[in-house]
Amino acid sequence: MTLTTCLILSAALFSVGLYGLLTRRHAVGILLSIEVMANAANLNFVAFAHYGGASWGQAFALFVLGLTVAEVAIGLALVMLLFRSHKDVLVDLANAFKH
Amino acid sequence: MTTPMWALIAVFAPLASALLLAVLAPIRRRGGLAAAVSITFALASLVGAIFAVIGTLHAGGSDWTRSWLASGGALPLSVTFGVHVDGVSAPMLAVVALVATCVQLFSTGYLDDESSASRGRYFAYQSLFLFSMQLLVAAPNLLQLFFGWEIVGATSYLLIGYWYKKPSAARAAVKAFWVTKFADMGLLIGLVALFGFTGSFEWTAQLAPAAATAVTLLFVLAVMGKSAQFPLHVWLPDAMEGPTPVSALLHAATMVAAGVYLVVRAQPLFAQAPFTQHFLAYLGAGTALFAALLALVQTDLKRVLAYSTCSQLGYMLAALGAGSAFAGFFHLTTHAFFKALLFLAAGSVIHAVGSNEMSKMGGLWKKMPLTMLVFIAGAFSLAGFPGFAGFFSKDLIIDSLSEHHLWAPYAALLLGAFLTALYMGRAILLTFFGPHESHEAEHAHEPGWSMKLPLIVLALLSVGAGFFGGDLWHLASLTDYVHGVYHFRFGAVASVLALSGFVVAWVAWGKTREEPALARSLAAFANRAWVDRLYVFGYRAGLLLVSDVAAWIDRYIVDALVNVVGSFFLLGARRARRLQTGNVQDYLFAMSLGAIALAVWSIWR
Repeated sequence: MTLTTCLILSAALFSVGLYGLLTRRHAVGILLSIEVMANAANLNFVAFAHYGGASWGQAFALFVLGLTVAEVAIGLALVMLLFRSHKDVLVDLANAFKH
Repeated sequence: MTTPMWALIAVFAPLASALLLAVLAPIRRRGGLAAAVSITFALASLVGAIFAVIGTLHAGGSDWTRSWLASGGALPLSVTFGVHVDGVSAPMLAVVALVATCVQLFSTGYLDDESSASRGRYFAYQSLFLFSMQLLVAAPNLLQLFFGWEIVGATSYLLIGYWYKKPSAARAAVKAFWVTKFADMGLLIGLVALFGFTGSFEWTAQLAPAAATAVTLLFVLAVMGKSAQFPLHVWLPDAMEGPTPVSALLHAATMVAAGVYLVVRAQPLFAQAPFTQHFLAYLGAGTALFAALLALVQTDLKRVLAYSTCSQLGYMLAALGAGSAFAGFFHLTTHAFFKALLFLAAGSVIHAVGSNEMSKMGGLWKKMPLTMLVFIAGAFSLAGFPGFAGFFSKDLIIDSLSEHHLWAPYAALLLGAFLTALYMGRAILLTFFGPHESHEAEHAHEPGWSMKLPLIVLALLSVGAGFFGGDLWHLASLTDYVHGVYHFRFGAVASVLALSGFVVAWVAWGKTREEPALARSLAAFANRAWVDRLYVFGYRAGLLLVSDVAAWIDRYIVDALVNVVGSFFLLGARRARRLQTGNVQDYLFAMSLGAIALAVWSIWR
């Protein structure tokens, strides 16, 4: 495996995540997509750390994991609230500001 | 205390009184207390002015000024406010304060049947007027003078409309305000032009000949409004709707003299504009004659005096036009005394009879001997009867015109002198002699001391003030009079004309109260309404037409353009709104597209 294959894999992961983010209507699906994109970034960190020799890049990957955990906690809380008010978790329902 | 400090008291004491009365309602609502406050502060102003005159006599003029407006830029602005005390402003301060004190004292008697609250309002206005007039008189530059000028106009409006429930009074107040405001535009534009040419508001500025003519002509427009010169005199007779003491103070003695005072002050400017001076001489003389004719045919005693005021202001301006600032200024001071006296005496009569119409008076000499005596003293002074104050000053004016070879104005003023005696003789005969024409006239009686005292003071001044002409000449040291010296010459022609005027009046109205045929036809011809009608016509045909056209253009062209632009954006926005779905994913999609476009651009550029 070379750096390039890693980056291509990362880009593919990111694109998959972005596609999911843009097309999913289900809130949990959107959260999952964000996780995929975050992990694409993580893969970049680790790959550059490994091939570039700057080992503190791996430390950043741990930070990102912590960050995504916090983000998922907030995201799921929002999903809970959405479910409580609308009896469903489709993000299209949260359009009160438009009206 | 220095001279300018006394002058400051003269200016600001009435302001203190006006503020007291305006802010402290308990004082204002108690009419008598308000009158006491106002008169006390007017007296303080008088004392300050007298000490200012004494100081000027001993040590010459001096100033107290502070920087007021200052700025840099292409035309640096540096304007001061304060008091400018010299031989012209100090006597003027004293004259204004003296007449105002007399008038305020007289008002306590004249308005005794008004409610206290309404009297309090009256005295608040009076104090404000006195302040603004003193501010104008003591102004060290034309900008402060303009401020005083405008407040004077506003208080004039308030005082004419004092009986605001009377429609005619309210209309007269509005008319006076409109006409004088129209004229004041001249002063404002003139000031701006003066500043543009010289960068200052001083009346000693040096100008190019054309600029001087333009600026002074604009000033003359303002003077025509304030000093009621033809054709802007129409507001003054209507202003007689105000209480008679107001007419005495504002519309005879002081406020209308502000125009003359402006010309006296700005004499260095006017001296640079010979054309304006000539115009002023003809304008003044023409108004003097025209207004004297109109005074002859009035049936309302106050209107006789109002037209007489127009006429006398015309005399003063004619003298100023001839370049004799001193003659005009001297007549301004004597006129302030005798015209205030005449109005107050007329007020005393009107108070007793309850009407302005001379046809309701008659035979009052037995009932009101003191009023008759002071009225006759004032009339003799006004007509220039030898020895009375008006004789000296008016003769000086007529003399100055002949010295400067202005023969047409000279003739007009001589004829005016004859007419003055004629209409005053008529007013005396119709008011005080002949049979009683009404029930009220039969039961008329002298007023109380608060009204008698001002009459006596002013009568003494109307008789004696003329003998102080030489002193005033030395004090004022206006660099004009004919050969740079004041010498009084006995003007025989004018005196004979004045005497014959009284004789003709006696012949015409001594035995009968019928108007002679000549006077009746003159009345029909010179009916004051024609100038007013001209204005109404000008208003309908000119102003309304122009405003209709302007309204059409505004509605269908200017507004239409604005509306088209507005609806373009309104409709466009209504379309563009659809882009904003409110769905975050759509925005994210747009952002991603943008990011990709940026990435592609950064690689391929």
